[in-house]
Amino acid sequence: MTVCLESLGPDAARPYVDLASPEHPCLIDAAHLVDERFGVVNIPNSIWIDEAGIIVRPAEPAWPNAPDVPVDDSASDAAATPPGRMGEMMAAASQIVTDRAPYVAALRDWVAKGADSEFALAPADVIARSGARGLDESTAAAEFELARHLYGQGDIESARLHFREAHRLAPDNWTYKRQAWSIEPSALEGPMARFWQGPLPGAEADWAYEGDWVTDAEAGGISNYYPRFKP
Amino acid sequence: MLLSGPSVSAEEFERGTGWAIRPEGACRGDVCVPLKVKPKGTGVDIAAVAGELGMPIVRHSSDLAVLGPASLGGRALTTAEAPELVLPDFDGEEFDLRSLRGQKVVLVAWSPY
Repeated sequence: MTVCLESLGPDAARPYVDLASPEHPCLIDAAHLVDERFGVVNIPNSIWIDEAGIIVRPAEPAWPNAPDVPVDDSASDAAATPPGRMGEMMAAASQIVTDRAPYVAALRDWVAKGADSEFALAPADVIARSGARGLDESTAAAEFELARHLYGQGDIESARLHFREAHRLAPDNWTYKRQAWSIEPSALEGPMARFWQGPLPGAEADWAYEGDWVTDAEAGGISNYYPRFKP
Repeated sequence: MLLSGPSVSAEEFERGTGWAIRPEGACRGDVCVPLKVKPKGTGVDIAAVAGELGMPIVRHSSDLAVLGPASLGGRALTTAEAPELVLPDFDGEEFDLRSLRGQKVVLVAWSPY
């Protein structure tokens, strides 16, 4: 099953769903309940649940059955890189590390072997490996929900205030950041518009947030954007 | 969970937080937390229960506040039992994760941004 984390509601994601024409349950989570209840902090993430309704792997990066895209260190390929922020985004994205092969192999192993799979974790390990949820993270979740509600009411400035608090309290939560950044004005049009997630060129002083996708991804180390697959 | 007042029904509390209020306390899966303040009738004193479950209350104004998720144990999950999850599909029909019992489930979270 897939769950779309989208505070703007189903219409914002419908073109992708229509294109994919899924045969599995395909749901919309405008309230980000999956973040709150399962500890999702980035996408794509998956949770494995067995036939009895027991989680055997908590939220972690999840990948389709496709080859890993090699990390691109070719800073010299300037001719192919767009100028400005778009170029910075592409350069940063090319450095992201994924573990598609081990993840897919583990998933196939669990599908075949169930509880006998080495990748099906014991309940204590599932809990221990689930994301941090101290008072700061819980408060961040509440701030994020307030922000969503206020945005839906049209009170954008108040929404931004609470989104900023959510980001401050849970700096490792990329879903809180990217949802907020993605609904700000973009310098792009079309399907890539919502990936801009940063200040408009020449209007950097008007950007409502402390961070943006490029700055925050680079600050944490691009290679750390997704935690590595841990069997 | 958006708050509309100082108390809610037990059903509303469970729907909003995933925690069921039972005689033995606040329960989620196989974890139950005894409550010092017992619910009166069918009403749940939000401030009292929130304090015991480590749930923050964040206010925007005098009439707008949100109850955050529990922070017991310091991890997102307090139990390996999958939380309740009922969400609409893209046609607006509600779907319950529990309807998939008996099958292995890979829940994939994604976004169009």
